[in-house]
Amino acid sequence: MFKRADYVVIFFALLLLPYLYVTLWGNGSYGEQVTIRIANQPPQHYSLYDNRRITIEGVLGDNLIEIKGGQVRFIEAPCQNKLCIQSGWLRHDGELAACLPNGVTVSVSGRDNRFDAINF
Amino acid sequence: MTESTITRPAPRRLTVWGLLGALLLTLGGCTEKQPLYQQQLLALGTLIDISIYGSDETTAQTAIKEVQGQMEQLHHNWHPWQPGKLMEINRKLAAGEEAALDDEGRFLINRGMTLSQQSGNLFNPAVGGLIRLWGFHSDDWSGKQPPAAADIATQVAAHPQMSALTLEEHRLRSQNPAVTLDLGAYAKGYAVDIAIKTLRQHGINNAIVNAGGNLRLIGSKGKQPWRIGIRDPRGTGVIASLESNSDEAVITSGDYERYFEHQGQRYHHIIDPRSGYPARGVIATTVIAADGLTADAASTALFIAGPDHWYQVAQAMGIKEAMLIDEHGTVHITRALMQRIHFEQKPAPTIHLVD
Repeated sequence: MFKRADYVVIFFALLLLPYLYVTLWGNGSYGEQVTIRIANQPPQHYSLYDNRRITIEGVLGDNLIEIKGGQVRFIEAPCQNKLCIQSGWLRHDGELAACLPNGVTVSVSGRDNRFDAINF
Repeated sequence: MTESTITRPAPRRLTVWGLLGALLLTLGGCTEKQPLYQQQLLALGTLIDISIYGSDETTAQTAIKEVQGQMEQLHHNWHPWQPGKLMEINRKLAAGEEAALDDEGRFLINRGMTLSQQSGNLFNPAVGGLIRLWGFHSDDWSGKQPPAAADIATQVAAHPQMSALTLEEHRLRSQNPAVTLDLGAYAKGYAVDIAIKTLRQHGINNAIVNAGGNLRLIGSKGKQPWRIGIRDPRGTGVIASLESNSDEAVITSGDYERYFEHQGQRYHHIIDPRSGYPARGVIATTVIAADGLTADAASTALFIAGPDHWYQVAQAMGIKEAMLIDEHGTVHITRALMQRIHFEQKPAPTIHLVD
């Protein structure tokens, strides 16, 4: 009854299912991408699920940023107030922490990238 | 594979692969790269984030470079106590002399006088002495303490107000030597206006210029409006969002932008000219207006006015879309803004609608 081609279609359809589930039903409020913006340099993008530590050279000195288990945070900053470190872990779409004196911001955006700008 | 196995089932294979291909193309369409160009600048002591939609990269880069130069010029000219135009004006006013203004200076001071009067002097760019005493312009706040109460009292008692100024053509005089101009409460709003104007001159019609809490936008992101998130004043997330595809400014003033803590008390940078101390009772205000300068001045005035008087001040300043978050987290909001804002958090905050 089924031809070989039908199995091919069914196979690919099943293969697509998890992707479609995540894309169409996934929780939009959880972030997926980390954007690091640095003054006078192009932005850098990382996956929120790619564990790593990143050193960013800003205006004052180096920021150390850690991505771990779907979260991101500042762990070292050359500024006086360390507000960026106090912000702690970011994980949801639209969350942002800034090391203004060093000209570095870290933000999390979700699948649907809901915000074009954050008024903070 | 032999020749025959390729040719025989070809029509059906083509259909299968064609269908799969079409499906993948459709899915791919969702993540198609948008012609969005983004760049961040460090100027005016803050980060300025510029997003441009639908212009080619060379145009965007050229325009942004010009904006960068303008921002540096603004900082240099209008810094209250670094050698520049404003410092020279302040020196003359303090000496009781007449100060000559250029077109930009005349515009800024004239707008400052009008807005200060409308706000009942809550927005008061004449309190440069007080602002300097608090020292919020410095980046180093470690071990910072509030100034001596007597010094604050002296500044407040001298009643520095914009009404002491007389502006004739490009000539400015002051009847009160205590007046020291500090444009900090509306300079960034003006800066985003200038930046947008420059982008327009380069033929850019869809853009956002966001200098921290000071944002102005034009146009849209293609078929979609721009989506703006307003930061939760006590978190890292977004408290509310709104969409826009017209030319307007969205400006937020908060107690979390610049502050230090001393003996458990938070001292932020929005100083009430009546007391000489940081304004109490409010954690953030957001104002939407046609231009950044007006919205910036108004967001400061509403913050100082506080939860009981902010709406009267908004009306006096001609502001229709505004909200204030008080120290308990209650959102006080005008009906006009309520109609277009979306609260992002669950449970939604307590909302006090005013009209």
